[in-house]
Amino acid sequence: MQSTQEIFEQLRKVLHELFEIEPSQVTLEAHLYNDLEIDSIDTIDLILRLKELTGRKIQPDQFRHVRTVGDAVNAIHALVQNKPAAA
Amino acid sequence: MNESADTRLPPSGTANRIWRIFGTGLSFVCFGLGAVLLGFTVWPILRLSTTDRRRGIARVQRAVSLCMRLFLRLMTTLGVISCEVHGRERLAARGQFVVANHPTLIDVVILVGLMPEVDCIVKQALWRNVFLRWPVYWAGYISNATGEGLIAACEAALGAGRSLMVFPEGTRTKPGETFNFQRGAAQIALAARVPLRPVTITCNPITLFKGNAWFRVPSRTAHFVVTVGEPIPITAFLASGEAHSLAARHLTQALAQWFEDNVARQQAEIATGNTAQKLTRRDDSI
Repeated sequence: MQSTQEIFEQLRKVLHELFEIEPSQVTLEAHLYNDLEIDSIDTIDLILRLKELTGRKIQPDQFRHVRTVGDAVNAIHALVQNKPAAA
Repeated sequence: MNESADTRLPPSGTANRIWRIFGTGLSFVCFGLGAVLLGFTVWPILRLSTTDRRRGIARVQRAVSLCMRLFLRLMTTLGVISCEVHGRERLAARGQFVVANHPTLIDVVILVGLMPEVDCIVKQALWRNVFLRWPVYWAGYISNATGEGLIAACEAALGAGRSLMVFPEGTRTKPGETFNFQRGAAQIALAARVPLRPVTITCNPITLFKGNAWFRVPSRTAHFVVTVGEPIPITAFLASGEAHSLAARHLTQALAQWFEDNVARQQAEIATGNTAQKLTRRDDSI
C-alpha cells in the first residue's frame, strides 16, 4: 500500500510530466485551478494518467470535490485503498 | 497621450460628448430591439426556410453578419466610433479558425460583420437570457457549457469546413493588464489540425472595456484599428511528439507572445500616425 507521502511525490512527477509544473510549486495546499492553472481539459488528461498509474477505474465523481493537491492525494489514497473517496 | 499628434481629432467639447453619449445609447437600444425583434421573426423564418439544418443556420449567420455591418455603420455615422480594417479580404475564405484579442464589447460585432458566415462560442449567461437566447439559438452558435464537449463541437465545425471565431482570453482584457490566454483556442487548433488566423484589435481611446459603463464615453471618438494577420502555423506543435497537454501549453505561449508583439506594434504605429501605410507594408513582411 502506498503512503500519502509516496502518492504526493508521484503526483508531483505526473504534474511535471504532463503540464510542466515545477515540483516546488506543488504543495498540499496548492489549488489546482487557481495556483497551478490546471483547467478542465487538463483534469481529463490527469485522470487518464492516474488510471494508468493506479490500474484502477476512476469515476469522475470521485474527483468532483477535489480542489487542492491535498484533496487529490486523499482521493487517490482512498482509491488505492479501495475505499470511497473522502469528499 | 498623443492628442496633439493625432490628425483625426474630431470636434471635442461638451456638446460633442453629450452627442456621443446619446449616440451610444441609441445604438445599443437599436441593437437590443433588433436582436429581440429579429430573434422572434426573421431569424426563425430564415432558419426554417429549408429542411437542411446547416443551410438554415448558414442563412441566419449571413443575415446576422449583414446586421452587424449595419450596426457598425450606425455607430460610425453617429460619430460614436470610427474604424479602419486592414487585410479584410483575408477573412473572406471559409473554414478559418479566427482568434482575436478582446479589448471592447463590440469586437464580436466587428468580427462577425467582417466574415460572411462564422460560428461563435456564446457564454451560458446569453443562453439563459430570455431575449438573446433566440438569436444565438437560430444562428447555431456553440455553447460554452461543457469543457470537453466544447472542444469537440469546435473541432466538428472546423472539420466540416466552417469558420470559427474565438477570443482566446475568454473575456475582455482589462486595460493595462497583460493578456491572459486560456488554452482552449490552442486545444481547438491542435484537435482540428488547422492554423490560427490572428486578428489584432486596438481601440484609442479605449472604450466599452470590461467594467466600463456605456455612458462613460472617452474624451474623443474611439478609433478602432483591426488588422487581419497571416496564419500562424501549428505544424511544429503537432510534429513535436509531446503530449497534447504540453503542446497546448506551448502553442498558447506562442500565441500570447504573437499578440503581445503585434498589438504593441499596432499601438506604436497608431501613436506615430499614418497606420494605413505602415500596416500595408507590414502585411507584406509578415
